[in-house]
Amino acid sequence: MSLIALIFISLIGSLVAHRVALYAGKAGPWLVALLPAFLFFSFLGHAGAIGTGEVIFERIDWVPSLGIGLGVRLDGFSLLFTLLITGIGTLVTLYAGAYFAEYPAKKRAMFLFFIILFMSAMLGTVLADDLIMMFVFWEMTSVTSFMLIGFEATKPEARKAALQSLLVTAGGGLSLFAGILLIGMTLGTFSLSEVALRADELVASPYLAAIIVLILGGAFTKSAQFPFHFWLPNAMAAPTPASAYLHSATMVKLGVYLLARFDSIFASVPAFGLTLVAFGSATMLIAAFLALRAIGYKGVLAQSTVASLGILVMLIGLDGYVASVATVGFILTHALYKAALFFCAGTAIHATGITRLRGLGGLARFLPFTAAAAALASLSMAGLPPFIGFISKEYLFEAQLESSMNWIPVLVAVLVNAVMVAVAGAVSLKPFFFNRERIESVKHGETLGLLVGPLILATLGTLFGIAPWLVAQSLVQPAASALYGSPIDVSFSLWHGLTPMLALSALVVALGTAIVVYWDRLHIALRRMRWPDRLLGDKGYHAVFDGVIGAANGSTRFFQNGDQRRYTLIVAIATIALIGWAYFRSGGNFAILATGGPILIAPTALLILAVAGAVAAARTQSLITAVVAVGIVGYVSALLFLMNGAPDLALTQFSVETLVVVVIMAVLVRLPTYAPSTRTAGERRIDIGVSAAFALLVFVGLATMTAEPLDMRLTEFFSQRSLTEAYGHNVVNVVIVDFRALDTLGEIAVVGFATLAVWGLLRRRRPANATLARKG
Amino acid sequence: MSSIIFSAMARLFFWAMLAVSIFILYRGHDEPGGGFVGGLVAACSVAILALADGVPSARGMIRVHPVILVGIGLVLAIVSGLPGLVLDASFLTHQWLEFPNGFKLGTTMIFDLGVYLVVFGGFLSLVFRLYEEVS
Repeated sequence: MSLIALIFISLIGSLVAHRVALYAGKAGPWLVALLPAFLFFSFLGHAGAIGTGEVIFERIDWVPSLGIGLGVRLDGFSLLFTLLITGIGTLVTLYAGAYFAEYPAKKRAMFLFFIILFMSAMLGTVLADDLIMMFVFWEMTSVTSFMLIGFEATKPEARKAALQSLLVTAGGGLSLFAGILLIGMTLGTFSLSEVALRADELVASPYLAAIIVLILGGAFTKSAQFPFHFWLPNAMAAPTPASAYLHSATMVKLGVYLLARFDSIFASVPAFGLTLVAFGSATMLIAAFLALRAIGYKGVLAQSTVASLGILVMLIGLDGYVASVATVGFILTHALYKAALFFCAGTAIHATGITRLRGLGGLARFLPFTAAAAALASLSMAGLPPFIGFISKEYLFEAQLESSMNWIPVLVAVLVNAVMVAVAGAVSLKPFFFNRERIESVKHGETLGLLVGPLILATLGTLFGIAPWLVAQSLVQPAASALYGSPIDVSFSLWHGLTPMLALSALVVALGTAIVVYWDRLHIALRRMRWPDRLLGDKGYHAVFDGVIGAANGSTRFFQNGDQRRYTLIVAIATIALIGWAYFRSGGNFAILATGGPILIAPTALLILAVAGAVAAARTQSLITAVVAVGIVGYVSALLFLMNGAPDLALTQFSVETLVVVVIMAVLVRLPTYAPSTRTAGERRIDIGVSAAFALLVFVGLATMTAEPLDMRLTEFFSQRSLTEAYGHNVVNVVIVDFRALDTLGEIAVVGFATLAVWGLLRRRRPANATLARKG
Repeated sequence: MSSIIFSAMARLFFWAMLAVSIFILYRGHDEPGGGFVGGLVAACSVAILALADGVPSARGMIRVHPVILVGIGLVLAIVSGLPGLVLDASFLTHQWLEFPNGFKLGTTMIFDLGVYLVVFGGFLSLVFRLYEEVS
């Protein structure tokens, strides 16, 4: 089936899923899970062709005038992601059904709707070949993530975490968008595959540095890299099924996906890889450190996820084809074991109501299958043979040793992986097997829905380790080839012989075992420290956030202080400054057209009348007199329009003047007839100065503009075409309703929305208040 | 402001101005006029009524909520662009029907009617709200 059709099926399917989950009762989640399962097998059907190196392209025009289309591409790398997204999506749907079993059907349906919608967004992002399309789906994942983190909307910390993740990831998305636009400006295309072909042109562009920084901004925020590493642990406020899906297995890997896509494009820029290695290593270290300090079960897992993302970013930064294999292998491995561990954590937390890791113990008695799945998954995470985690860790070290980087990344990787081994022990052995005295009973046991996900994932992690040929040629090799840019041979196998990598693995396991034995002591010692909270938390985010709010409050208090005169003054000064600046920038020419003809009596008389009206309006203390005087100025302009052959303008001006008087009268009825002058002498002087400056500017502008020879091209064009093409004699009207109809539509839409605002703002106060006001 | 003379004259003016506003709207394509001016005149006609008899009686006279008028106007303007989208693949490219006797009917008329209703409803909401506060 067409790939674009699959995306649309998924999008529409989210709505269907909502209805099904709402009305199908207990069977609902199982029926909903058919959709991701169907998509999984549809994509799996392409695996054979993709395995031979084929790439599938499809394209439908979307905005042809801007060169934007729904362009999709399926190669080995996107196939890996689509399979992870739909496969884990199926399991998450089943798990969520069981997890929310006691919730009202309405809430459960809502959750499944967001999960399927999120899945569609993910599919769109990883399949997109058109960068604009990718950006749209990219931001859609941020928005659905916001909805899912804040799903328990009654909890303040969930709302806060949701907002934080949205501001960070959607803000990063805007940075990505700017980068995409710069690429489009440079190359004139938004197609990722064409950009890859013309990489040398992009690298030669003067915008290269800006493009790289902007794209890194998008990727680092999404994948929680330092200094944006803080949002992911906070996002654990989401329900666990969402955490397993979005914040470990799929969405947070989008940043990695993006970097991987651009890695071959920027291959010739050494700084690109170096930056990735530096930021990846920093993230790994910080997250590993924070994992030891984390209190919550999910918090520990979240920090280890951040560390894993750091490993992936670092791997992409490394050169050599082994790095590509290692990246692909680790993406697959991490998705399998981390989602399984999140499922197990969710079941444990759900069954006990305890979220602290150190409050849990001996759960294997009550949740035997969950404990088994957690054990298998954590062995894979620890990188022990014969699990797939072992293979991918061997590749990680091999990639580092093979690359041209020095020994620092190796050291970082050894330390971080040792912590990963310790985390693996801490999140499976301790809560499930040790400390039996901590938990006496659980609220409920395991159900089928809670078990399917973790058991399948943990089994696959073991199976792929024992029988790596199952995925080596069909999945890892095509993905790594797509990533590397040319076909590579992958010997994805368990035993590599006695290599330096094996020695490093042994060192990691030894260190990790030591850490897990002293976990509690280490944890307590690290909790006593205060500086990590200050330096590594989200203090920076809060400073920026509060700063923006503070600046907004301050400027609102200054500009919107409630005094109409201040508003008018600010608008007038701003207008004068802007026009004056433009006038002097363009040379500051002044010209006046001396016609030398006789003075025309009628216009002169009218103008004198207008001046008299203006002077009267400025001098009078009576508001009614002021309205009438301003009206005189308006009518005079209308008469001048009429005399100079613009009857349409004149007619409109007359009507507007009349209506303005009618409307202002309604306001005036409620005001005192005479307004005592509250302006001080100083304020009046400022008023006079601003008015004079404004008048001078308008005079200079009008005189200079009319001194220029009039460009008649537009006038001629419209006069010639208005009857032949638009069948109208009245050129003004034809321009409004036909030639520039879109402008007019925009304008009347503005009028419409302004009307709605006025209707709401001027709502009559409540009767109670009104009586109070009258009495007062 | 209850004055029998004003009230009686306002009724007359209301109908006269409403008729004139529709005439202005209709002739707009070939002579000075159009939806914007037409809408302004129509708003004036109801404003006079509201001034003379109060907002409730003016509301009763036009029956439709002014905000709804705005909505209908916007929808008409958008709808008038759809035939162009279908026939010419270009939104708001107006289409014309020509009759053998030279009479022409175009989607511009629908668009201009939309402008008329938006301006009419928009000013009317302003007038109603402000006069309601007074009475």
